[in-house]
Amino acid sequence: MSIIVDHVSYVYSEGNAYESKALNDISFQIEDGEFIGLIGHTGSGKSTLVQHLNGLLRATGGSIYYNGADIYDLDYDMKTLRSKVGLVFQYPEHQLFEVDVFQDVCFGPKNLGLTKAETELSAYTALKQVGIADEYFYQSPFDLSGGEKRKVAIAGVLAMKPEVLILDEPTAGLDPRGRDEILDLIARLREENGMTIILVSHSMEDVAKYVGRIMVMNHGGLVYDDTPKEVFKYYHELEAIGLEAPQTIYIMNQLRAKGLPVRAEALTTEEARDEILRVYHRA
Amino acid sequence: MGILQAKKLVFEYIRRDKDGNVDGVTRAVDEVDLDVERGDFIAILGHNGSGKSTLAKHMNAILYPTEGTVWVDGMDTIDEEKLWEIRQTTGMVFQNPDNQIIGAMVEEDVGFGPENMGVPTKEIWERVDESLKAVGMYEYRHHSPNKLSGGQKQRVAIAGVVAMHPKCIVLDEPTAMLDPSGRKEVIRAVRALNDVEKITVILITHYMEEAVYANKVFVMDEGKIVMKGTPREVFSRVEELEEIRLDVPHATKLAYELQKAGLNLPDGILTAEELVEALCR
Repeated sequence: MSIIVDHVSYVYSEGNAYESKALNDISFQIEDGEFIGLIGHTGSGKSTLVQHLNGLLRATGGSIYYNGADIYDLDYDMKTLRSKVGLVFQYPEHQLFEVDVFQDVCFGPKNLGLTKAETELSAYTALKQVGIADEYFYQSPFDLSGGEKRKVAIAGVLAMKPEVLILDEPTAGLDPRGRDEILDLIARLREENGMTIILVSHSMEDVAKYVGRIMVMNHGGLVYDDTPKEVFKYYHELEAIGLEAPQTIYIMNQLRAKGLPVRAEALTTEEARDEILRVYHRA
Repeated sequence: MGILQAKKLVFEYIRRDKDGNVDGVTRAVDEVDLDVERGDFIAILGHNGSGKSTLAKHMNAILYPTEGTVWVDGMDTIDEEKLWEIRQTTGMVFQNPDNQIIGAMVEEDVGFGPENMGVPTKEIWERVDESLKAVGMYEYRHHSPNKLSGGQKQRVAIAGVVAMHPKCIVLDEPTAMLDPSGRKEVIRAVRALNDVEKITVILITHYMEEAVYANKVFVMDEGKIVMKGTPREVFSRVEELEEIRLDVPHATKLAYELQKAGLNLPDGILTAEELVEALCR
């Protein structure tokens, strides 16, 4: 079970003066249960790429296989793909529209053609998964706080029981508490339900803390695809394409430059602390 | 007298249920006293719902106090005759650059403010050029704003405010929607306005690394200013900040963890450079 992206390209407005290549010959494979961070500056092609994974955009070249089936086959069921690969857009709370929280979350499963009972059970389970208490169910989604609204919007996608969850900058605009809640929720979904997660993010700290693999995009191409430790070794190169590394990487590299023999690849505050203490205690 | 002052500022709004009946009263800003000096660079921190944006909207008379008084450059904000003067004294920049840009060309967009103020045409163009140079966007003056990156758009929005020659700029999470390089561009432009043009800056942000550049940091919680001081003073109170679920800059956090583990480091480390220096001494 996997997603295979094979030499995929996407060209906007092919053949006229506005032609531009948004994706340029991209290939990779994602296995079940992976937690992937997708990074790149604004306009690097991240959003275009994720919209291919659930069939919202159709590649102008190359193929995509989901669980072994070519999604561009004429008889391939796109509707199932869209329920299996759930996409949470940026600022998903802007897409809430129903009169109450529960109805809003029911919208997805209802459109998949589930019965009323199945729909309501899915919605209930999804709202419980994201930690929305029962007393909010019949409130207007617009009366909730920013962080809670976003959880409801995520529940709306979870209610379709996706196998893969793609989130496009799910923490943008949230305060530190809201950010931690959303990221912990995503990590829990993966652990408890074995979901594959693709996290599009501008926060290198978040990516470093949570994911097992990072894909870096630039000008529509995939430039790095490796573990966080390996990818952030290229922090100079990342800066050149408008990105950065977690702050601890800079601290560790500056310490090394001053002659302190620490390993440079500490991704979190805890790792950096332990590594500095290790060197200090040996000295 | 400082450029922005507030005395016992209270702002309450009335919550209503879906039939329009009064449901209760929420106090968003609770007896806040404020004194911002000319040329200050103030960072306001606090989680969502702590009252930061509500406070900011009092600084150019978008909102009026329920109780207490706000003065902008000596003008009481409830003085209707002074409304335009107040709005020209304090300019605002918001989170989403796409909601703030109206011109079809960068220079047109920046000229919109002064044009509406009745500035003579020749002076408008001078102001547009100056402002775009101040934020480093002069070479893009003939571009369409649609084709710019988020950081560039936000700098155009800031130039639009600067062209109105405000004494003070309030930025409400201007970098929340930007990528790392966009964030750096915007903060660099904001610091230049403060350093070079001597404009008073109020920066509301969730990024603690950006607050390090301020000369004063205010922390808000439940409508009140609960901490006030230099970045060094405020960020050395790591435990209190964690209690209200706020971050500290990464270098500060790492220094704090190392101190806890028994390493002898000075208090109030803010940047990677300071931490590295302290560790290598």
